[in-house]
Amino acid sequence: MTRERFEGLAEAYGGDVTRWPAAERDSAALLMASDSAHAQAVLARAGALDAALNAFAAPLVAPALRDRVLATAPGPRVARWPWLSPAALAAGLAAACAAGLVVGIVVSEGSSAGSNGGAEQVAASTLSLDPTFDLEGA
Amino acid sequence: MRVAQGDAAAIRAMIARKLPRLLSLAHRMLGDASEAEDVAQEAFVRIWKQAPVWRSGKARFDTWLHRVALNLCYDRLRRRRETPTAEPPDHADPTAAPDRRLEAAGVAARVASALQGLPDRQREAIVLCHYQELSNIEASAVMGVSVEALESLLARGRRALRAALADLADI
Repeated sequence: MTRERFEGLAEAYGGDVTRWPAAERDSAALLMASDSAHAQAVLARAGALDAALNAFAAPLVAPALRDRVLATAPGPRVARWPWLSPAALAAGLAAACAAGLVVGIVVSEGSSAGSNGGAEQVAASTLSLDPTFDLEGA
Repeated sequence: MRVAQGDAAAIRAMIARKLPRLLSLAHRMLGDASEAEDVAQEAFVRIWKQAPVWRSGKARFDTWLHRVALNLCYDRLRRRRETPTAEPPDHADPTAAPDRRLEAAGVAARVASALQGLPDRQREAIVLCHYQELSNIEASAVMGVSVEALESLLARGRRALRAALADLADI
């Protein structure tokens, strides 16, 4: 690295070599070793400006600002069609299967053994229907 | 992104990480604490809006966020120039009593004024590299310029600051 490049880097990035571009730090270290007095003078000058700039400290975050920002944050997501959620669909499917099974039993029993009043009554009571109504209809 | 789903812990973590940096960026760019708070708050509204569609990594998020905050700062700087007011930014009085704290506040005010006196792009480069501690690659990505152009902006900006603050010791 040349003196000019070293000075240029200090002028751009300041007096702290660890904040210089990573790809140039090794070359800078070599120059600092071989041309120490000049390098130190360049870094000291740049460092003095850094120190002055650091006097303009970052402001602290006021709790009121944090609260204002928090108030604008999104709330917990609520599904627009809650019945389309995977859990609701699974529950619906299970209920439909169960109802289909029971209706299937009723229909098959009714068609194959029309005279079996006892079976009709059991099936009807399974469906929570009035067995009398079923029997009248048959 | 958990933030988009309204996850309270993720939202608080995002605010804890980004709010101080956004506030710092805006304060150095605008030299005004109240306007800086407004910019930081507006930047967060953009974050919340963007969160549901955000898919990229941290580096690109930070680049995007810095650009958003800088654009909000430039909107305010533009408005300020269009409607100049007699009221200066809220810096401490540099002629204050020579108490050590007031002296430090005086230097801070001088630096803030000197930064405000820089051309926008030079100030932006110095804020990103010196204050936000972005690497040259990150800062050039935020600014949309080459690393060489960034270095030129930094060097010219620092030279101007040195001239403006020449009366401070050892600069």
